[in-house]
Amino acid sequence: MRMTPAHVRWLLLLVLLVLWEALPRAGVVPTLFLPTLSGSLLALWQDKAEYFANLLVTLNEVLIALIFACGGGVLLGLVIGASGVMRRLMLPLASSLFAVPLVVLYPLFTAWFGIGSESKIVFASVYGLLPTLLGTAAGVQTIDHHLVTVAASMGANRRQQILRVYVPATIPTVLAALRIGGALVIVGVVVAEMLTSSAGIGFLISRYRTLLDSENVFAAILLVLFLAIAFDAIVQFVERRTAGWQRSGQGTGDGASFA
Amino acid sequence: MLRFRSIWFARLAIILAFFALWEIAPRVGLMNERLLPPLSDVIAALIGLLGSASFYPHLGTTLFQTLLAFLIAVPAGAILGILIAENRFASEVFKPLVFFIFSIPKSIFLPMFILAFGIGLTQKVAFGVFSTIFIVMMTAFAAIASVKEEHLRVARSYGASTMQVVLRVYLPSMTPVLLEAVRLAMIFNFTGILLAEMYASRRGLGNLIGTWGMSFQLDQLLAAIILISGLSIVFNETIRALELRLEHWRG
Amino acid sequence: MPAATDGTVAVSSLSHTYGAESGEGTLALQDIDFSVAKGRFVSIVGPSGCGKSSLLMMLAGLRHPTSGEILCGGAPVKKPDPERIGVVFQEASLFPWLSARKNVEFPLSLRGVPQKVRTEKALHALELVGLKDFAERLPHELSGGMKQRVSIARGLVQDPQILMMDEPFAALDEQTRFSMGDELLRIWDETHKTILFVTHSLSEALYLSDEVLVMSARPGRIIDRIEVDLPRPRTFEVMSSPRFVELRERIWQQIRH
Repeated sequence: MRMTPAHVRWLLLLVLLVLWEALPRAGVVPTLFLPTLSGSLLALWQDKAEYFANLLVTLNEVLIALIFACGGGVLLGLVIGASGVMRRLMLPLASSLFAVPLVVLYPLFTAWFGIGSESKIVFASVYGLLPTLLGTAAGVQTIDHHLVTVAASMGANRRQQILRVYVPATIPTVLAALRIGGALVIVGVVVAEMLTSSAGIGFLISRYRTLLDSENVFAAILLVLFLAIAFDAIVQFVERRTAGWQRSGQGTGDGASFA
Repeated sequence: MLRFRSIWFARLAIILAFFALWEIAPRVGLMNERLLPPLSDVIAALIGLLGSASFYPHLGTTLFQTLLAFLIAVPAGAILGILIAENRFASEVFKPLVFFIFSIPKSIFLPMFILAFGIGLTQKVAFGVFSTIFIVMMTAFAAIASVKEEHLRVARSYGASTMQVVLRVYLPSMTPVLLEAVRLAMIFNFTGILLAEMYASRRGLGNLIGTWGMSFQLDQLLAAIILISGLSIVFNETIRALELRLEHWRG
Repeated sequence: MPAATDGTVAVSSLSHTYGAESGEGTLALQDIDFSVAKGRFVSIVGPSGCGKSSLLMMLAGLRHPTSGEILCGGAPVKKPDPERIGVVFQEASLFPWLSARKNVEFPLSLRGVPQKVRTEKALHALELVGLKDFAERLPHELSGGMKQRVSIARGLVQDPQILMMDEPFAALDEQTRFSMGDELLRIWDETHKTILFVTHSLSEALYLSDEVLVMSARPGRIIDRIEVDLPRPRTFEVMSSPRFVELRERIWQQIRH
């Protein structure tokens, strides 16, 4: 049997998982740096009540921040992308701002909003907003305006042109932006929790790190990874269902496609 | 011409309005002055920082770590990316993996780096490289993809040597994309280093920012934010200007 | 109103200037005068940039000329009216998120026609263009020729008396292009529509039409009007007949530069 690239990829993953278990077990790598995979999963299982409670805190922050970041980003992106003047006025400003390492704003937000959920939500919203905005604005420009003329030739009024042409044509863009923005919102929330907080998965990561409890640090990291991958998979699923028409010729270089 | 200039004025007006609001809102009591010190106070704090000798070791540490991580991650990522993209099998195996790793949050691995390397220079640089290398690899993939097969065929059919093909086809085609890699790499890298410093460190800008936030020294905190934003924007715009310059050249 | 559905087209002293509002504009179309009798197939040819597509846009009510009058079916054209005029565009211009059937239903759905009637009419139109079995396919699952046939079905679904076609086959390869031409002639034969067909291919124009209007380079004027007296039904061989070659040469002499 010939090895296809997908086989090699699965094999690599398998080797990685085996090594993750074997190396610390054999003492090649200190368990402080890398605890065994089974140990981490066990830790996750044993403290499942605590993980679940903190996961809820994180999820709640993520959801609210998603509404602000993606809602705001998509809306602003549409407004800016649809108007030539706004585009020329705002896009250079937005992409300059994109260069700023936004993480430095977090201490400001904790000073303003305390170390509870509010500061995480604000930070993650700001963190996810710009890329969503830029993505949407760029996507709006790729809309085939000829289709609007076509609809007009069939007697579509302005409202119908917007609802029946612009809206469906923007869906893939919005979903793509949601994918980027959502990933950033998750990172934003968890990183903020890691820096200063009293609850959430990020908080657990940092607390267990100070306790030098590597197994639990990894357990929490695995949980965040799972969250990020699950979110991505959901958006991809929706993309396939609603925007299958967009993916015609183009190859899928998507991350999670291991198969 | 006139329109171009008016866009510039409008943009400038937006920025000025932002700063003016920052100055006025706390002064007239629209914002709590303790939570948002007026711009003038923050600028005074910035001048104070730049005038104090104790600030420079922090700034130096951060810039040195950033530069070091950058100098490792960009060439390493570019070379790895090009090697992968140039080999069909390797690119089919590794490209999805790199895309995957790129898409997962990397900041959450920060504690691993502390457990492995402590909280010194090595850890910061290693984390900076880790934060940066995947975006560089992805851009390198795009760079290779931007080299057109037709151009290679034309060059070869006119008897260009390998060296000539590299210098005359690959390099000019790839330069804009590689510049983009440099630009994005710096954003990711600087963020990574600052985050690592904010998370656990003894010195550096990130360390200062964290401390100032906790102790409510917001004028200093905002001064540092302005400085960091300024540095990032200047670097970013320089690279973008270079990109634009190159585009003009290429016509 | 029988007058509005009689399928004639009349254009009188139509001129158009771009940027007319700002003072000095570019004269794009100048003194266009022609009329088309019901059920005729008329092509408009001319060098690229002569304004033939703009002219069609105005005939379809999508743009307004600076001056002049357009009558379709005896009534002036102020805005798009798909019950009077069907339009088929360059490239497929199908909505990529809608199936072939939904694309054809689109103009009906804009008017709130009940779903059952819509489906019925759309399937009928798709049958006319030979695509009934592909009704539920998305555009990206169809070939270029099939997409253009869906476009034609969409133009015909409201049974307008006039069909305006703007270089509909320009993006297709030569072979598909001529088989689409035959297909169009068959549909024309079955439906007796008046067809106005813009193209830059002289062979295509002569092969399909009863009459060819030749436009000059900008500012676009009609510089010749050719009655194509080749017998129908036409086949591929007609293109090598002496009369065809002669007419082609006559147009070619006028538009080449």
